[in-house]
Amino acid sequence: MKPVLQVENITKAYGKGANIYKALNGVSFEVHKGEFVGVMGPSGAGKSTLLNVIATIDSATTGSIIIDDTNIANMKDEQLADFRRDNLGFIFQDYNLLDSLTVRENIVLPLAIAKRPAAEINERVERIAELFGIADLLDKYPYQISGGQKQRTASSRALVTEPKLLFADEPTGALDSKSATDLLENLSELNAKQQSTILMVTHDAYAASFCQRILFIQDGQLSKEIFRGEETRKQFFQTILQELTVIGGDANDVI
Amino acid sequence: MTLFDLALKNMRRNMKSYALYFGSVLFSIVIYFTFVTLKYSDDISALADSSMKVQGIMSASSVVLLIFVAMFIIYANSFFIKKRKKEVGLYSLLGVRKKQIGLLLFFENIVLGILSLVIGIVLGFLLSKGLLTILVRLMGLDAVASFTLSSEAVINTTIVFMIVFLFTSLQGYRVIYQFKLIELFQADKKGENLPRAKWFATIAGVASLTFGYWLASQDLMTSVMWKILGISTPIVIIIATVAGTYLLFHSVLVFVLTKLKNNERWAWRGLNLLGVSQILYRIRGNAKTLTTIAVLSATTITSGGAVYGLYYNAGEQTHHYLPNTFMWEGKEVNLTSKDVLYNETVHAKQAELELAGTTYRYTFVDVDTYNKLAQLQEREQLAVQNGEAIMLDPYYDERFSINHTGQKLAVGDVAVKVKNLHAESIFNADVIGQTIIVSASDYQALAAEHNTYQLVGMDNDKKQVASSDKLQQQLGDVYLSSFPASYKSSIEGLGSLLFVGSFLGLVFLVATGSIIYFKIMTEAEEDRGKYEILHKVGVGHKEMKKTIRMQIGFIFAAPLVMGILHSAFALSAFSGLIGANILVPVIIWMVVYMAIYAVIGYLAHKQFSHTLQWRAIK
Repeated sequence: MKPVLQVENITKAYGKGANIYKALNGVSFEVHKGEFVGVMGPSGAGKSTLLNVIATIDSATTGSIIIDDTNIANMKDEQLADFRRDNLGFIFQDYNLLDSLTVRENIVLPLAIAKRPAAEINERVERIAELFGIADLLDKYPYQISGGQKQRTASSRALVTEPKLLFADEPTGALDSKSATDLLENLSELNAKQQSTILMVTHDAYAASFCQRILFIQDGQLSKEIFRGEETRKQFFQTILQELTVIGGDANDVI
Repeated sequence: MTLFDLALKNMRRNMKSYALYFGSVLFSIVIYFTFVTLKYSDDISALADSSMKVQGIMSASSVVLLIFVAMFIIYANSFFIKKRKKEVGLYSLLGVRKKQIGLLLFFENIVLGILSLVIGIVLGFLLSKGLLTILVRLMGLDAVASFTLSSEAVINTTIVFMIVFLFTSLQGYRVIYQFKLIELFQADKKGENLPRAKWFATIAGVASLTFGYWLASQDLMTSVMWKILGISTPIVIIIATVAGTYLLFHSVLVFVLTKLKNNERWAWRGLNLLGVSQILYRIRGNAKTLTTIAVLSATTITSGGAVYGLYYNAGEQTHHYLPNTFMWEGKEVNLTSKDVLYNETVHAKQAELELAGTTYRYTFVDVDTYNKLAQLQEREQLAVQNGEAIMLDPYYDERFSINHTGQKLAVGDVAVKVKNLHAESIFNADVIGQTIIVSASDYQALAAEHNTYQLVGMDNDKKQVASSDKLQQQLGDVYLSSFPASYKSSIEGLGSLLFVGSFLGLVFLVATGSIIYFKIMTEAEEDRGKYEILHKVGVGHKEMKKTIRMQIGFIFAAPLVMGILHSAFALSAFSGLIGANILVPVIIWMVVYMAIYAVIGYLAHKQFSHTLQWRAIK
């Protein structure tokens, strides 16, 4: 089967001449449809840069990124906008909701942009809100709801278009453990049921334990890859913790 | 539901940030429309004899106002767009093409524009009626302003602002096209470097400012610098002062603040360290804004003070040159008005004199005549012996007039020596200029033609326009020197000048206030986090408020002090130029300016605290 995402030898360099700094230095990997992949690594290893580059938010210095047969490295601004609209979803640590729109309107936004008919929009919004357990909050404003609820709103917004790929950058970073667990359970349920493909950057071993595969990144390069396989979530959590201790003194990061 | 609907909703709910922009645009339109209405007003043209002068002043001022208003809207718009970067970024992230976002903002801008244009013209119409009344009053005309909507003004305003809106829309497009998605996620991480004092810039700043001030205080006639630079001197002064102001904000203040910060005794007490750091942190970025505010303030205070000073002194100046209410050469006229204080007939002789190679024409009068008139005009009595003379010269200016004291004058057989010179006369200067007082016997001996003059003094002389007209009718072709007529024409000219001056001054003031307001609101947004942290680590309310006061107070006070300092030098130069003491009107004007400025400061402070949401973090 063809992978949904193919990352080939990408680099991202900052600065010039002798002062050049490579945030990413030759990263290659593949993600197949229906996978829930985590990216881990110590602070400053290049996790977020990697995500931004793949997610078309930033551009790579060299290398190619192929999402579903399309090489996004060669795309123009306009094409990228269309591509994002039709294929990608985003969740961020700080939600990025529009404060002036209600929860419902925030979720509607990407569908409105894609010019879907109103009946379809309504149905999709109700369904996704039900799934994330925010159906009762649809007419509230972002400042009236909790952080966990905001993040579930953001996730609904990201997934309501049924994107080929969902990018999540530390989605649980600002959440308490209960909200984080709820969100992660929702995401993995979606992943299991609807075959959504998710790429999540995190430094939290607990969040990562919901993934099926973890990529470890260090100094801009992939250092290791582990699979959950048949392990339970708890066992996988232990595996990840061990792995983090092996990788280096950065186990502090997970606490 | 379409993107368009959502955008509209977003607009409605974001009313607060829109309101600020909308308010600025509305304000600009109201001001501009009012001004243009006044310019086209038939009332003014029909009433004032000096309407050509008024029209000229109005036209020139409307161009200044136009440039200013356009810049102001563009500034407000760029601030507004900056505030909405997050929204734009999110749209872009969700896959809206830049073209569409641009169209959205364009549409929004045009809707806002048309709305503000309509409301602005209605408000401006009402305001112009009120202002017209004030203008007519200031010009000393008895008339009621009519209430008509000028179609010329409407068309003019609409065209001008449509062009401005088109420009701001393009500005919006530019921002969107330059916008990089990654900026949305890095905005907070961008750090500023703490500025370091630069020796060179500090010295250059102080030197440039000192040079500008020094040059401004040089005398027009005697200074070597004026001779070298000629007509470009004022430009050199302005450049030196503006550059000096910028460097001062850019470096000198950084230097001073750094010293203050390094003074541990002072800095390490309470929040002083934080307060200074806050100011220091932003001062480089703010240098341009602070300079703009300082220069705007200086312009407002200087032009307002100068015009108000002239207006204030108009009566005195006219009195200096026209000490008699009426004066003419020829036969006596019987005046019946009960306001008449004196009605005198005076004889004087004209003769040509050669002094230092130049021929002058002087009027001679005997000392008894002088003393009689001096008594009527409440001046001191003079004594002149045979062979002596006293010169009266109302045009005398020590900078460029020659003082003839000690000079020997000879007309035919009579020889006298000038013992004194007075810079005021008993005659109206437009009939008899320089006068020489000699003793009665010297006057008798003077072989020269002999003329008869009529001098009339009246009570309440500023209001004797009717008597003046009547008298002129009686006199026919004879030239009448009339105080009320001269006073009226100078007040008409100055009144409109004063009106335009205060009007523009007010516009500048409000705009200056708004620029500071925008600045402070941006800072409040940025500082919220800092103050929350402070609160969390246990800093009390009172102390935080003190720091905020310091921060805002600085942004307000620094440019105000510079502006006042600049204008003080400019006005003292102006006062020297016109040879009048304008201290009182200038001080009144400055106090008014500072008062309005302080109100804006107070409002900004209140809003700043509000943005930090004291209640929320209490």
